[in-house]
Amino acid sequence: MQIPFFPPNLFEDDRDVLCEIVRAIGTGTSARLILGEQTACFEQELRTALGAADVVACSSGTSALTLILTALDVGPGDEVVIPALGCAPLASTVTNLGATPVFADVDRWTMVADPDEVARSITSRTKVLMPAHMFSVMADMPRMRELATAHGVRLLEDSALAQGGVLGGRPAGLWGDAGVYSFVQVKTFGTAGEGGAVITGDAELGRAVRMLRNHGQDGKRRFMHHRIGYNSRFDEVQAAFLRHRLPGLRARLDRRAAIAAHYTERFADLAEQGVLAPPAGGDGRCFYVYTLLAERRDELREHLAAAGVASHIYYPRTLPRQPAFATAGTWPHAEWASQRMLSIPVHPLLSDADVEHVADAVVAHAAAGKAYVVEH
Amino acid sequence: MTSTAVPAVGRAVPFFRQSASFAELWPEVLGHLDELFAAGKFSHGPKVAELESALAAWTGARHVVGVNSGTDALVLLLRGGGLEPGDEVIVPAFTFVASATSVALARGRPVFADIDPVTYAIDPLCVAAAITPRTRMVMPVHLFCQMADMARIVELAREHGLIVVEDSAEAIGMRWDGRHAGLLGAGGVLSFFPTKTLGALGDAGAILTDDDDLAARASALRHHGRFGATLNDFTAISNATELSGINSKMDDVQAAVLLAKLGHLDDDIARRAHLAAAYTDRLADAPGILRLPTVVAREAQTNPVFYVYLVEVERRDGLASYLADRGVETETYYPTPLHLQPCFADLGYARGDFPNAERACEHALALPLYPDLELDEVDYVCELVRRFYEVG
Repeated sequence: MQIPFFPPNLFEDDRDVLCEIVRAIGTGTSARLILGEQTACFEQELRTALGAADVVACSSGTSALTLILTALDVGPGDEVVIPALGCAPLASTVTNLGATPVFADVDRWTMVADPDEVARSITSRTKVLMPAHMFSVMADMPRMRELATAHGVRLLEDSALAQGGVLGGRPAGLWGDAGVYSFVQVKTFGTAGEGGAVITGDAELGRAVRMLRNHGQDGKRRFMHHRIGYNSRFDEVQAAFLRHRLPGLRARLDRRAAIAAHYTERFADLAEQGVLAPPAGGDGRCFYVYTLLAERRDELREHLAAAGVASHIYYPRTLPRQPAFATAGTWPHAEWASQRMLSIPVHPLLSDADVEHVADAVVAHAAAGKAYVVEH
Repeated sequence: MTSTAVPAVGRAVPFFRQSASFAELWPEVLGHLDELFAAGKFSHGPKVAELESALAAWTGARHVVGVNSGTDALVLLLRGGGLEPGDEVIVPAFTFVASATSVALARGRPVFADIDPVTYAIDPLCVAAAITPRTRMVMPVHLFCQMADMARIVELAREHGLIVVEDSAEAIGMRWDGRHAGLLGAGGVLSFFPTKTLGALGDAGAILTDDDDLAARASALRHHGRFGATLNDFTAISNATELSGINSKMDDVQAAVLLAKLGHLDDDIARRAHLAAAYTDRLADAPGILRLPTVVAREAQTNPVFYVYLVEVERRDGLASYLADRGVETETYYPTPLHLQPCFADLGYARGDFPNAERACEHALALPLYPDLELDEVDYVCELVRRFYEVG
């Protein structure tokens, strides 16, 4: 049995639909192939489903972060507090604007930014707090909101991987002044290509982002550029395809959650044997990636590979240890987690038998080990 | 046909249309989509890799780096070419805004120079006058149908130790003594915006260069600064981040469309030339026309590629409305020069600084031009132009 980390046949059932979309748009009479009617409808559908003031589709989740930071006038001399563990865009979107990322250590079990560490990282130059949801756990957004309010700084929620997650009744993306989604194919609401969106409860911020995504134009007067903007647009092929995929999203999210819940149940007692599952529960969770913390990670990885199960180490090093963002200091929890994390398949196309096979392989590895306790 | 009779083409003439040619092309597009589904990676995947190779062969570039848009290609070309924050880059005052915003997005400072009134490209004399101790690069832009005076710009850059980066977004197919546009200096770009000579169904672009290091840096920057082979490899998301990059991965659906079209590009360029000649033939003695496209003879061997058929006319906005009222769509490339754009207000330029650019903005109008355009539509457009000025 071979179980790939990401499903290779992700859109097989949608193949005819996608091909027909491409054919119809190519042979159609509308010359608006970018930011056209499909994109407007798609944005409206997401906006209604979320109860957001605005949803602005753009070229990627990374670009969405950049559009928001630019709209918030982040630039040289400004600091943005980000987690020390996570994906490169957390830091690169900040440094590309000439601002400085300040790395806050994480909670080592949930791997999201520790609010106390974020609080300690705030200085007089701090302009934005940018917590990120990580793998399957949403950051402690109520605390982040308190901190942002108390210090008079803006809150940008990197919810790129958490579309579908809900914390305390509020969807991921709507805890911040603005949040983002990523539609790259492997995400919970992936498309057949790249894409992203800015989600916001602040209509004024939404307007600024709309202008910035299309060369600083106001959508009325062509070739009048009010701000230095980007080309971060959304095309009609992807908009039509995501509109087709939207009704099935709930079921796919539920399937991910069910698989994750089963894993967590099967792995509940493995911490004493060196394998720690993410915390159980559904509130504040979104199962984009299911990540274990393993004392004997390389052995577990090899054991899984021998069983035909692909696994992945997302962040073998922390952000301040990446050459591009090299920063002096220590972030012990982020480093601890980066040495132990191992992600296993959780995508909705896994069969029950696949899931059981993956779980069996993890359990067998743990049982074969000596007592390597994960001290979390 | 008499000069006052308006031929009844029986339909509106949009600024861009590809329904008929795309229908013919569809079996080829579908073939590429089938292969894409078999591979299963829909961005930065197998079709993007195939397109890069095919474009390298077509242009003669040593490296082609596929990205999300022509604008991103410019930003990554500048950063890949070594632009540092605060460096000045000389760009023409008459061009699409991305030529200059890309400099600002790469944290450099655009410095404007006036254009040659015939080619609409940057005037080498004005480039020379704009050089300061902080100048690092010069960015000629090849607009509409021909290249800037690359011999003089390259010579000037050599004299002053400047790097030449070409905004060749519109210039696919244009060559200078056999070298494709974008390959006369450090590198150039292509835009595959849908209406371009080689157009996708959405945004896409590419960097062209013969420079190995520039290509490696640009390639890393488009994928979050990750070096190593990232194309068509999911696991590369964990490669070390060497540079502070962006996400500018190209969609494979777009690459599939472009691959299908690339096989017909020579025919498309020939068709555009044929239609452009038809416009010129019909408008040569028309009233109200201030300038028709004029391909300038160079010492080097060059070839025009008609991406845009741009005329300069009296009462430009009046003509555009007149045509629009009769179903003919036009575009104003460009209504406002860059030095007068609100986004560059803090650079301190004023009206009158670049008279050729300002004059072009007042009179320039692009008429419909694309391979699916029919000759009777050209007749119709030209006859309406005549009527507008004859009736007054």
